[in-house]
Order: sequence, then structure tokens, then C-alpha cells
Amino acid sequence: MVKAVQKLMVGLAAVSCLALAACGGGSGGTGGQAAQKAPDAKNWRQDIKGGPIEVGVLPAVGTPSLKFLEDIAAAMEKDYPGTEVKQTFANTKTRPALEQRWRAGDALDVDYTMFDGTNPALLDWADDGALLDLKPYLDQVDTTTGKPWLEQFSPAVMQFMQHPKTGKVYGVPSELSLQVLFYNAALFEKHGITPPATWDDLLKAADGLKAAGVDPIAVTGLFEPYMGMWSDNIWMRTVGYGKAREVLTDGKGSITEDPGFLKGLQMLQDLRDKKGFLKGFEGTDFTAAQAQFFQGKAGMILMGSWLVSEMADVIPKDFKLGVLQFPTVTGGTGDQASMLAAAQLMSVSAKSENIPLSLEWVRRVVSVETQTRRATEVGEVSAVKGVSSPPGLPGIADVVAKADRLQAAYYGLMQSKAKDVVYPEIAKLMFGKQDAQQTLENLDKGLRRVHGG
Amino acid sequence: MYKAAQRRIIVPFLAPALVLLAVFFLYPLIKTVDLSLNEFSRTGTMRFVGLEQYRLLSGDPDFYNSLKNTFLITLIGSGMLFPPAVAVAWALSQRIHGERFFRFVLFAPVVLSVAVVSLLWKFLYHPTLGLINPALESMGLGALAKTWLGDPATALAAVTFVSVWHGIGIWIVLLCAGFERLPEDVLAAARIDGAGEWRVFWSVMMPMMRDLLRVLVVLWVVQSLQTFAFVYILTGGGPFGSTDTVGTLMYRAAFERADFGYAAAAGVVLVVIMLAVAKLLNKVMKRDDLQY
Repeated sequence: MVKAVQKLMVGLAAVSCLALAACGGGSGGTGGQAAQKAPDAKNWRQDIKGGPIEVGVLPAVGTPSLKFLEDIAAAMEKDYPGTEVKQTFANTKTRPALEQRWRAGDALDVDYTMFDGTNPALLDWADDGALLDLKPYLDQVDTTTGKPWLEQFSPAVMQFMQHPKTGKVYGVPSELSLQVLFYNAALFEKHGITPPATWDDLLKAADGLKAAGVDPIAVTGLFEPYMGMWSDNIWMRTVGYGKAREVLTDGKGSITEDPGFLKGLQMLQDLRDKKGFLKGFEGTDFTAAQAQFFQGKAGMILMGSWLVSEMADVIPKDFKLGVLQFPTVTGGTGDQASMLAAAQLMSVSAKSENIPLSLEWVRRVVSVETQTRRATEVGEVSAVKGVSSPPGLPGIADVVAKADRLQAAYYGLMQSKAKDVVYPEIAKLMFGKQDAQQTLENLDKGLRRVHGG
Repeated sequence: MYKAAQRRIIVPFLAPALVLLAVFFLYPLIKTVDLSLNEFSRTGTMRFVGLEQYRLLSGDPDFYNSLKNTFLITLIGSGMLFPPAVAVAWALSQRIHGERFFRFVLFAPVVLSVAVVSLLWKFLYHPTLGLINPALESMGLGALAKTWLGDPATALAAVTFVSVWHGIGIWIVLLCAGFERLPEDVLAAARIDGAGEWRVFWSVMMPMMRDLLRVLVVLWVVQSLQTFAFVYILTGGGPFGSTDTVGTLMYRAAFERADFGYAAAAGVVLVVIMLAVAKLLNKVMKRDDLQY
């Protein structure tokens, strides 16, 4: 009896496994749908036919930012009968699920975070032929401007849009995120504090704010990459972006070779020892840290330019915001005028069943008209030329004008194992668990482990 | 003849359960082992690499750290869960006024989602805007105020406490059922023999509850070794890896770095550890059946 049941169990298990294995996806990969024939680049707009498409969107339901996209979808559904635009939330937390859909051959027609020319980990989809090369379409003259579509974008974002080896374009930016130092302008004026242009100014401003009973800088201790923004920016000034990226991301050379790394860590330690960060930041998540800045409990915050649109609901109406580039470092051997930035790139699936309609969605989202409305009404920073700076970010135009180059935020670390080495060590330094020298030694050890050597 | 007929009739009864077992346990397990022998690209193409992922795992200090934290959660959580759960279940098994109300209050957190509970406690734990530290300070216990989730010394315990707070209602209900099925005549006999309530509890009730406790301990161990959601939402594994568990490590490897082979290898090791621990606990805690 027992043997019969055992045989039955083994048999059933084997049959089920075989059946499921047969249904499963062999060697995996971006299987499923076949790549569609790309429309003729010169006449693609004439090929637009109504139909269903699914597009990724970054704003959450109910936010003002989403309204613009809903308006575009409604207009397309009107202009091309039969069109149905399904908008799928495609922000950070949904990426794993959406990437699984791409792997299973059920890709969105237009999606975010599938490509970034500055991030080696995000070239794979393009290399595997999952994304449509947009360059032929972007090279066509846009009838509304009389210039090639590609020229609509700021040259500073081409590094994000373009594949570094092939020169093909796989992403078009719907918005730009710049890492800037926000400050409470009213608070600074009230206490006669000068907005910091240099690191020394920043330390003086921290002293001034403390004297006024305000914590100098809001920062979260519960999301390490946001603490890492500080070391990222300091190293850009003390080491230089290219050299720092080589060491941190590419694993070339040692972090102990360039004294700028230790100098940067020492500067961060000085700021920590001055009690420059929000009281209790170690246990404060980023939403609370941002809210505390807007409540006047901290004088400055280093954050992406998305801060204003993200926190629109909690910013007091009379809040006077100031925006600065990250302070320069006197005597620093790195890049003093560069800014860290990320472009939110839309990519089109090469397997989309309606490529012309997908391209039209992209075209409308990045049109000067839409971008201007988004900048004006919700404070998004645009990568499109001729779009005015968001009035909610006073001074951002000057900040961008002063930047000689936009560099990829996080040094392209976010999808790599090195991220788990670099940012926890920076967190330990900021928490006061180790000093600059110990941080450098631990970073050296950790980077050697993940990069080899 | 009788046995053959019995054999025939057992098949349709067992088949649905066996198919479900095969589909939802055996196949995923086999597939996970298969994945762990491969290296993946971000797009999902895979290449057979044999035991390479296990070799990488064995040399990865982050994996050992996450394994240590996972076991600490199990251990700390056991201490936070079982003594109060047993005490409360015992109290509820007495005839007390408002028993239904207390049962409701204790069970209420169980119906909340993990996300809601985590966000609630993230606020309560907030060092300056939360409720715990200001409450401690107002009671003159300011020295006990901590940055609960931001201090490596307290973060793991803080996360574990939230997990226990959320789920303790279930364990209390199960323990209540255990207390209620204890034979009244045995308890009455103990009391007639002069045993006080503490003695009845410790020397009569607990031995009779041993089997139930063994099952609950094994269930807790299996559940806590899989901890993921509370850690992911409350701390993301930080500060600096002090709350990182095998679950969060696997998630980062699979879904941030698309390193599915490595994540699968970690999963396989965790399954082996769980089976071994469950087996060991069953063996250590097994006693001869009590007849009553």
C-alpha cells in the first residue's frame, strides 16, 4: 500500500515537472513575441493606425503629473480611432515585475529604465535587440521646428540616450533629474546666512543654521544611496567624475591611489562632526526628511530636482525655496562645474505590435508644448531645448547654465554589486561608526572583493 | 482483494493533493536548483556554470551576514513571541470578563497588510516625529530613546518586534485552542492534589501542550527564516546590512542586479537549512506521547 502511494507520488511529480518544463522558457531570454518590422523612418507618422498600446508612466495615480499623460492618451484616442492607451505605473518599485514581463516576451510598448547609455548594466536590452533603435526616427526633420527631431534635446543628455559603442539611440528623455542643493531661502535671509557656493561656505552656513537653532542639513539614514549623494558629489569635486567612476564602478585602480578620495571622506567626516545633519536622521526615512526640510526643521537638503513635484502637497504656500549647484571645493582636483544627473528615458519595444503609435506617444510626451506645461505646472525639469525652467525651482536655469557637463548620477553603481559596498560604508561614516581613514580602508577591501584584484 | 480495492480508491483521493504538491513545491524547487546552476544576463538569457554560484555564495561575506541576521530574527522573535503568546493564551482560556473584546484586540493587527503595519511602525519609530521617543521622554525615560530603525544595535530587534506584533494574534488563537482542549479532569485532579495555579500551568498544562508547542516552534522557525517584507519596507536591509536577511539579499541580487542564478543558489541553501533545522527541532523536542 505504502509502496503504491510512493510510486504514485513519484510518477505524478515526474509527469508534472516534465509537463511544466515543456511549457517553461528553455534558456530564457527575451523570448515570446517576434521583433516587428520597424516602420520606414521617413514616413512613420503616415503609418500610424489606431490600436491598443501599453505605455509605462512614472507619476502615481492622482498626481498632477499624471494628468498630462492622461490628456495625451485622450488626444491620441481621439486622433486615431481604435486607439486605446493603457498606462502602467512603471516607477522604481514596479521595475522587477515589468522587467519580468520583458523577459517573458510580454513587454510594454513604451517603458522606462530599459536603457541608459551611461550605465553598463542597462545596455543589455539594447544589445539583445529588445529595443527599437530610435535614431533613424530622431534624424528626421520635425515639421513643427524644421530641424531634426534629435536636435530638440539638449546635447548634455545625448550620453544617456545613445549607446556608447554603436551610437544608436534607445531612449528619449521625458524629464531630467539633477542633484542640487535645496535651501530654505527665507530662513537664510532671516538669519543673514549666505547660500553656499563653496564647501567652506557650506560649513559656515551649517554653523549659522545651528546658531539659529535649526538643523543644517536634512538627510535620510534609511536609504543609503541618498546618503551616498554626498560622497558622490564631493568626490566629483575632489577626485573628478571620470577617475571616481573608474575606481568605483569599473574596478580600475585602487581607491587609495588618489588622495582626493580620502580628502572627500574627511570633508564628510568634518560635516558630520559639526553635527551638520538632521537630528535623528539615522532613523528618518526620505519622505520624512524631505517633509522636515519643508517644515523649516532643516535648512538644506541635497536631493534630485524631482523633490518639488514629489512633495508638492506638503510644501507650504509661502515656502521660499532656493536651488544651488553642489558647492565647489577650493583646491579640489576634480570637476568643479559638473552636475550629477539622470534622464528618465522612454524606450520603445522592438516587439511592439504598433511601433508607429508607440513612437507617436513618445513624440507627444517630449513635445515642447507638453514639456513646457509640465515644467510650468508641476515643476519637472525638461531635457528639451526651448522649454522654460520650472518656476517652482527658482534659480535652476542659472544652476544648469553654470554646469559644464552633466554626469551620470550614482556613477552607474545602482545595478551593481559595488553599490552594496560603497553606500553602506558611507552610511557608517555619516552615522559616526567609523572615521574617514577606516572608511577608505573598508571601501578598498570591499571594492577589491567585488571587482577582483 | 480488499487491499487492491483500497489501493484503487486511494488514488483519486490523493491525486489532487499530489498534483498541487508537484506543481507548487516540487517543480519550483527543481526549477530553482536548475536556475542556481546558471548565470543570467539582465535580459534573461542563461548560461550553464555548474556550481559557480555556490562557490561565489560561499565566499560572500554579505551572504553570511544575511544568514546570521536571519537566524537572529528567528531567535529574538522566539523570545518576543512565545512567552507573551503563551501567557495571553492562558489568560484568555480563563473565564475572564470581556474575553471576546481582548481576543478581537489581539487578533486585529493580523488582518492588516504588511505594508500598512510597516508604515505605521516606521512612523511610530521615527526618532523625533514618532510616538515612542516622545513618550519615553515625557515619562522621564529620555535615556531610553533611540533611533530605533537607524541604529544597528536596535534595528534588527525593532523590525522583529513589528513582525511579532503583526502576527502574534494567530499564535495566541492557536495556543488558546491548545489550552481549551486540555482535559478538565486532569487539571481538576492537580488542583485537588493541592497544586497552585502556577504549578498547574508549569507542571501539568505545559507538558500536555508540548506537541502543540513543538509544531508552533517549527512553524515560527520556518516562517521567520523567510522574513522579507517587514525588513524590505522598514529598513531595506540597513543600516549597513545590520537587518539584511537572506530574503532581502536574494531580492536585491535577482531584481536589482538581475543575478537570478546567485539568488536561486541562496534560495536553495536556505531551503536546505530550513529543512535541516525543522528536522533537528522535531527530533530535539520530540517526547513520548502523553496519554490523557
